Amino acid sequence: MASSASIRPSLGAAFTRLTSSNTTSRRIPLLLLLPIQQTAPLSTTSSLLKRHTYPGARSNKDMSKNRGQSALRRTGLRWRLSMSDEPLPKPKRREELPPIEVDPDHGLWDFFPNRETVAAAPEDDMKHGRAWMVEELRGKSWEDLHKLWWVCVKERNRIATAAWERERGKMGFGKSEAQGRDREVRITMRGIKHVLTERFYAWEDAVKLAENDPEVNLSGKGKAFTPKEYLEEEEGVAVEEVGLKDFRGPVGGEAAEVPSEGKAQGEAARL
Amino acid sequence: MQPTRALLGMRYRKLRLTTKDVNKGFYKGTGSGSMGRHTNRGGYIIEWNKVRTYVCPDLTGFKLTPFVTNTVRRTYGQYNTKLGPKDPQEYLARWKSENGLD
Repeated sequence: MASSASIRPSLGAAFTRLTSSNTTSRRIPLLLLLPIQQTAPLSTTSSLLKRHTYPGARSNKDMSKNRGQSALRRTGLRWRLSMSDEPLPKPKRREELPPIEVDPDHGLWDFFPNRETVAAAPEDDMKHGRAWMVEELRGKSWEDLHKLWWVCVKERNRIATAAWERERGKMGFGKSEAQGRDREVRITMRGIKHVLTERFYAWEDAVKLAENDPEVNLSGKGKAFTPKEYLEEEEGVAVEEVGLKDFRGPVGGEAAEVPSEGKAQGEAARL
Repeated sequence: MQPTRALLGMRYRKLRLTTKDVNKGFYKGTGSGSMGRHTNRGGYIIEWNKVRTYVCPDLTGFKLTPFVTNTVRRTYGQYNTKLGPKDPQEYLARWKSENGLD
């Protein structure tokens, strides 16, 4: 806003100039001369701010904006920044860092054979038995087969993780042993599937047979199975009722005597 | 941007079809399976009975492994009937003796 030629000072500005250190003796009559326009240049006049340059002189501008700045020689910055006074953080060595907190119960640990290594050594990979036979699996319950299946899945995941790591690191060994182990696991899984399918088909066929079986009641109301002994007893022979628990025999310890009676009488009825 | 030179001309016709080829009516899946059905407005309705879920049981305390020791010889099952384990009569008889009465 200040013009170089004339400055019209305000009343308050005139007083501050009076008290400032830059006042000279010739400023004092300024108070009396307030209404008159003042034209003397001040130190902050823009013409005085400019450095005197000879006409035709080349510019003194520093064309290289990054002069003297080097990251390699750690010179620092040329101009100060807002964060120049803040101290730079110093990197810590990996050993000095606090240990990374790991959940010991994390599920992903199961992808590795132990906590130290990513892949099992080939000599450990070779230490396995044979796959389950279908005949051995036929004796297992649904719960056991279900759990065994998932144990196999996790084992295959471990083998695959090791194979991936070996491939990535171009290690060039251990593939053959891993493939042998994987083969056994896959055969076990095949056997589990076979057993469950076989059981399901046999069940389907058994349901068809049971529709024509007098001992079996498939309606959903009442007992599903009434053994022949019951039916024959109801017809004619008067026998004391055999409890359901008692029929099992040795399992229901106290009532061990009763089933033998029931069976003997049932046999007698048949004869 | 330029088209890939290796795919221009008749060379592209010799490659296998992808899902992006052919204008209309050509469908090629990606092996992920059908999870629902399309609507006539271009949307998709998920049929949750088609969506597969994986149930992993609790394996704590489970001692069976995928392998059987080599010292146990392979023994094949012996069955009375020709169908053997697939025989529905055998299945029914076994059900009656083990599971018939609750």
